[in-house]
Amino acid sequence: MVKITIPITGIDRDYLAQLEYALTFASEDVTSCHVDPESLTVEAEIKSEAARESATRKITELIERYSKREFGSLQGVHFKQERTFPVIDAWAELLERKWVTPIGEGHVILRGPAAQLMSLIDKKVETMFAAPFQAELEIYPSTIKAETLDRCNHFTSFPEHIDFVSHLKSDVEVLNQFANECKEKGWASERHENRMGKTEFAISPSCCYHCYEGMEGWNLEATGRCTTMILSCHRYEGARHKSLSRLRSFTMREVVFIGQPKYVIQARAKAEEMIIQWAKDWELSCAFETANDMFFTQDFAVKASFQRLQQAKRELLLDLPSEKTRLAVFSSNFHAMTFGKAFNITVAGRPATTGCIAWGLERWVYAIFCQFGLEPSKWPEKLRAEFENHVKAQHPVS
Amino acid sequence: MENESITAEIRQFVRKQFNVPETDADFNDDVHLFDYGYVDSFGAVTLTTFVEEKFGIKVSQTDMIAHPLNTIREIATFASQRQKGEI
Repeated sequence: MVKITIPITGIDRDYLAQLEYALTFASEDVTSCHVDPESLTVEAEIKSEAARESATRKITELIERYSKREFGSLQGVHFKQERTFPVIDAWAELLERKWVTPIGEGHVILRGPAAQLMSLIDKKVETMFAAPFQAELEIYPSTIKAETLDRCNHFTSFPEHIDFVSHLKSDVEVLNQFANECKEKGWASERHENRMGKTEFAISPSCCYHCYEGMEGWNLEATGRCTTMILSCHRYEGARHKSLSRLRSFTMREVVFIGQPKYVIQARAKAEEMIIQWAKDWELSCAFETANDMFFTQDFAVKASFQRLQQAKRELLLDLPSEKTRLAVFSSNFHAMTFGKAFNITVAGRPATTGCIAWGLERWVYAIFCQFGLEPSKWPEKLRAEFENHVKAQHPVS
Repeated sequence: MENESITAEIRQFVRKQFNVPETDADFNDDVHLFDYGYVDSFGAVTLTTFVEEKFGIKVSQTDMIAHPLNTIREIATFASQRQKGEI
């Protein structure tokens, strides 16, 4: 291994985490990469000396990309609630108790109280958010047409994390060879080489794209429509898959607003009040802040800073005491007419405006265990009561 | 330039650049250009460049955060005040 050190200049400290995320995708010659916030350097290990020049160039390109911003970097803390906790290794305990079992990079099984807590959070979204907004339940496939992602401009913002799906070519010889090789030598990724059909689908990276494509050509008569859905989503995170905080396969619950701008803006504002109340009720150590998506592409400077300037994304960040970091578990998003225009959804003769609120369910579970531990009896009163009632409702005593 | 003529220049530019039809009943000098979908992030870059070049002013990143610049009237008021050296 060869080590390289590259100085970071011109990046706000708030953007260092985003740079570190992006560096995961700098080059396959880079085996590890770390941002040192003290020395303001990128410390990377590369496969060989021969890769030094290209790896340095690619890392430098990303440093430059994340140092630019077209519209400044608006910061905003809309709510903050701090608590102190004993530091525990929740991840190790979850594994020890078999409440979580990893089954591959970024893939996990949840069971026992971990599964029950996730079920509670989802149920709470339904009762606290979906019901008052009269959200209509929609059920979606886990995969999505690559063409739809293209129309959503997903590839021009987040090309790095798409998990594409494909199948073996419909050819009896190809299928025979694949099956025979697997029989003789077992499965290996090389068995797929030159044998895959066209890639037409990907695993959905978020819930709401199906909503928009499903409404293509609709003309809404009411001021707005609200939908809700839960979906197993995928995002490839390079070498950064970790605990329940950064999964490749995770569960997202969304409530989506489609309609006139005023309807979407008011609904989003109401939902933000409600999520803050939720954080208060459960005594979560958290902050609700202005945020931006981790746009990976070269136009980061325009998209991310505009998103911040327009307050188009806000996130609830829960503290992870043992990791001395924070985890985004909820986001509130405003898309203006991006999807209304892309899918010809209209209301009162104009393209519809959309917005969505989204929960990353495994992240909620993980952050709650990190903050309060694995014993529900020691949790804050309202959280404990809701959890116990939820478990009882699932397993009523006859 | 007077505020009203700056407003008219920006209104005309937005209509033409972002294809706002004359029949659009929602479009006026006080509509939020971004919330109502007339201008997106890349359009905002175009609009900022137009304002800087047309009125001979500089709009910094700090200005964008410190001043509301979401409607035609807000942008025109800012440009007028910046021309006069008031801000």
